[in-house]
Amino acid sequence: MSRSETTPRFAERGRNYWPLTGALVVLLLVASMALGPVLRASSWWWVMAAVSTITLVSAGAFRHLGWARSVVPLAAGGVLLVTLTLFFGNGSGLLWLVPTPGTVEQWGGLAEAGMLSIQQQAVPAVVYPGILFLLAVGAGLLAIALDTVAITLRFPAIAGALILIPVSVPALITKSGTDLAALVLTACAYLLLLRVDVRIRRRSEAATRDRGRAAPRSSGPERRGPGPVWGSLGVGSIAIVSALVLSAATPALSDSSVISNKQTGVLFGSGVSPLIDLGQDLRRPEASLAMHYGTTAEDQPYFKLLTLDSFSEDLEWVAGRGATDITNTMDEFGDPEGLTNAVERDEISTTVQIDTVISSWLPVPYPATSIDGLDGDWQWDDGALTVSSDKSTTQGQSYKVAGLELKPTAEQLRASGTDYPEAIRQYLELPENAPAIIGELAAEETANVANPYDAAIALQRYFRSSAYAYSTEAPVDEGYDGGSLDVIARFLDVKKGYCIHFASAMAVMARTLGIPSRIALGYLPGDSTRDTMEGLPRWNVTTHDLHTWPELYFPGVGWVPFEPTTGRGSIPDYARGVGQASTAPLAPSTNDQANRDAALQDREQNSGGVATAAQVSLLWLQVSLVVLGAVLILLLPFLIRTVGRLQRRRRVASGRASPSLLWRELVDSAVDLGLGVPDTETARHLASRLSASGGLTDAVAAALERLRDAVEHERYARPGAEARHRNEALVDDLDVVLASLRSGVDVRARLRAALLPRSLRPEAFGPGRGRSAAAA
Amino acid sequence: MNSSATRIPTDSSVATADDTVAMPLDEVLRHANAIIANVESVIAGKHAAVRTALTVLLAEGHLLIEDVPGVGKTMLAKALAKSVDSTVSRIQFTPDLLPSDVTGVSMYNQAERRFEFKPGAVFANIVIGDEINRASPKTQSALLECMEERQVTVDGTTYLLSTPFTVVATQNPIEMEGTYALPEAQRDRFMARISMGYPDTENEVEMLNTRDVTSPLEQIGAVVDLEQLRAMMSSARGVFAAPGVKEYAVALVRATRDDRDLRLGGSPRATLQLIRAAKAHAALQGRDFVLPDDIDELAVAVLGHRLVPTSRALGHHHQDSSALIEEIVLRIVSETAVPLGNQKRS
Repeated sequence: MSRSETTPRFAERGRNYWPLTGALVVLLLVASMALGPVLRASSWWWVMAAVSTITLVSAGAFRHLGWARSVVPLAAGGVLLVTLTLFFGNGSGLLWLVPTPGTVEQWGGLAEAGMLSIQQQAVPAVVYPGILFLLAVGAGLLAIALDTVAITLRFPAIAGALILIPVSVPALITKSGTDLAALVLTACAYLLLLRVDVRIRRRSEAATRDRGRAAPRSSGPERRGPGPVWGSLGVGSIAIVSALVLSAATPALSDSSVISNKQTGVLFGSGVSPLIDLGQDLRRPEASLAMHYGTTAEDQPYFKLLTLDSFSEDLEWVAGRGATDITNTMDEFGDPEGLTNAVERDEISTTVQIDTVISSWLPVPYPATSIDGLDGDWQWDDGALTVSSDKSTTQGQSYKVAGLELKPTAEQLRASGTDYPEAIRQYLELPENAPAIIGELAAEETANVANPYDAAIALQRYFRSSAYAYSTEAPVDEGYDGGSLDVIARFLDVKKGYCIHFASAMAVMARTLGIPSRIALGYLPGDSTRDTMEGLPRWNVTTHDLHTWPELYFPGVGWVPFEPTTGRGSIPDYARGVGQASTAPLAPSTNDQANRDAALQDREQNSGGVATAAQVSLLWLQVSLVVLGAVLILLLPFLIRTVGRLQRRRRVASGRASPSLLWRELVDSAVDLGLGVPDTETARHLASRLSASGGLTDAVAAALERLRDAVEHERYARPGAEARHRNEALVDDLDVVLASLRSGVDVRARLRAALLPRSLRPEAFGPGRGRSAAAA
Repeated sequence: MNSSATRIPTDSSVATADDTVAMPLDEVLRHANAIIANVESVIAGKHAAVRTALTVLLAEGHLLIEDVPGVGKTMLAKALAKSVDSTVSRIQFTPDLLPSDVTGVSMYNQAERRFEFKPGAVFANIVIGDEINRASPKTQSALLECMEERQVTVDGTTYLLSTPFTVVATQNPIEMEGTYALPEAQRDRFMARISMGYPDTENEVEMLNTRDVTSPLEQIGAVVDLEQLRAMMSSARGVFAAPGVKEYAVALVRATRDDRDLRLGGSPRATLQLIRAAKAHAALQGRDFVLPDDIDELAVAVLGHRLVPTSRALGHHHQDSSALIEEIVLRIVSETAVPLGNQKRS
């Protein structure tokens, strides 16, 4: 008699598996915490916790009710659907609980929005409802998978592979990798799971013994492997070590050019609310079309996405203003700060068609007076008149911006004075510990000027002089990349950098001189084309046109942009300074090839960015890599067994190994299929047991007998005795027998034998060859 | 004359086991099957008991058949003896049986004016000892000495017993009054103990039909002669036992010594006889090497009567001792890892 006939291989009905469910809940909650580094706030964790707990507990309840094993995951899936309907159905479900076609549609939208958010956001990402929905779905599915593997199939050790999915996400997409504390906690939770499992096995073992003397063969010898505690500790340590290795190995992956998300220029890092990771976009070797537009303006406008106007604690530029006022809808636009009627202006209209930019900031020329044709909820920002949305993105948007083309004169600016309104004074703030070189240099360069305008012109000229070089390499090589004050100080010393350095340096220097300033982030006007757009010349803006520039405030005129970046952009008339009669740009036009190259490099180092179609494919690459990795891990047992089997066959067929290797393969396969084979069972006994189990044709039985004879002969006959069967024939016999054994069990058992071969299991974790099998 | 061992001829051809030429195993198999068929024509449905009995015969051991009266113990012994063309003697053990009745006695021959040795019942190839536990301990030990030493010493003269020499003793476990149960040391001299068990309905009905008129024992004759039996024994001795298999036998017997439910475990003689019996068992299947399966199959028969359970185990069990012992031996067998031959485990 085999143990397989007397002891259950799967979860038994009526047995108490609640401790395992509890351990799984703990494991999942702890593992979700590992996502902390990539997501903002903590509300998402509560949602994941709720969904996974509900799913696991419901699965436990169904099991407790004695439902069939195969039904439990399905029923838990049903509960997951109901939970999702309740949380994310937006009331579209029947009684808020039962999903309807409307709910599914709602979910589709959420999932799509979630994918978009994931694609467009840098880490740590803001958790929008879409992302939250995806997280909840993931947590629920993971919970069902864990429950199925750990409790129904009684393979809690495999849960470690599944739980690596959430744990390894930060390692894959952030530089710092998975948080060590989260990793250790997860490992501890995993150990807890294993420990609980061992306890349950022991109890089950005791119960089996109490049920009476089942079969003499069913109780094997004392366990020869390590004890259960040491076994779990051992496997646990292996898990921890592999997780550490994994997290240590993946940052290298992150640093590669394929999957890269370096937060080098943290200029637009933390602080900007719906954060856009510009870096990813800019690392693309080829520009993709960001948008195209037609405008009635004389000079093509810069398109502003957002402004950065204050400093974080670590002296980085951030968008310091509070949340956008939700009453600032598109219905009525605000007035540009500080602009008076004295400034000459043209009313212009710009029609924009977004191509690949995916962002929650809208590219808009400054200053806008109204925007028509936008989908979704958009708000404008009070000071900067930038337009953003919490829920919508720019994807596929087509809109018409009415705005002003301001034409202040140099005289006007020069005469504007320094009488700044109270609200503007905040743009003068500088951290106390700002490096002294900035102020000193600013004072030196503007020693001979009498007013803020001339000072600004002097600074712009200073930066565009031959003393400064446009370089994307130098800041990275010399380790001062970014936009912080320290970086600016280094930049002023080395005199090599790109738009972030020029713009932030000029803005900071302006503040040291008492001129209110801020940095704008957006797009250069791009290139003209021969096409037209609504009767206007069409201009194309590519992802390589991303740019930053400083804006300075002049009373009576408002915010005025300057262009200090050498070799980039064009200088407006008012900013050319005295005696500059020519209207030609100082720098080569943006169509100039040399400038294009510089711009390209600028982008590659710039850390502003917006998601594009190419980036989406990169994300898919990452996701598929993760999935591929998980699949590989799950397939590992299968691969090991298959390769092992082929190797054994080959070795025996070629005569390098004796036929007993075939028998060992047969035993392993029988173990895989759930026919427990204790090491106290003789070959003859096993053979007769297999034959007696039925379904063996005469040919198979004969093959089995030949195999048995061969192994007996080899093991016990007089050394040197002549073998009775040829090895090649025995290999064929093995194939015949294995095929017959496999066809004797149902598909599920066969699948399990292939994917989760029991013969690979360490003794401490379940029915191997020894006594521990009886405990399962 | 006093010092030399004397063989009492019991057969025309006096031969020792050593100079017998071993028989090919297929021959052994053929003859064995003939014997089994012969015996089974008398006792139907007792295949396992018959096989074990023949195994013990081939292994040159002694057999103890222990069962309630009337199940055919003596019939089995007689049928086995009759199947071989050999000398057979039968001793009905009674309390007043004297040791000299078993071994023989020296009598004064007045005509020739000297002492003459009258061989006892033990001078035969197959000695059937009925109800051995009825005899006095003194008589029992006289027989048991012969069994072990295969010789008889009377008045300072040693007489060698015939070869082969097998004692088939029967014992009634139920009727205890006026009996002297064999002590452990003496039980150890039997290679194996078997019980017959009741026949099943079919066989019992069949028995009624065939045994109504005549005793079937009258109708069977010898199917092998003594020479052939010796050759078969020689073949059985030549069966190969791999080192791993011997270690397995040792491991089994050692396990009986350490078992928590046993007061007395198997002796080294038990190990020896286990291997011998296993060799004969293999030979009976035409196999020239011993399998762990041979040992597994014989473990209960060979070890069972030598083991003494603890009173605690007996008290727990509410069964008779031999059933308990059988269970313990089977448990030990199931807990002892099977050797993987001479190769290393991987």
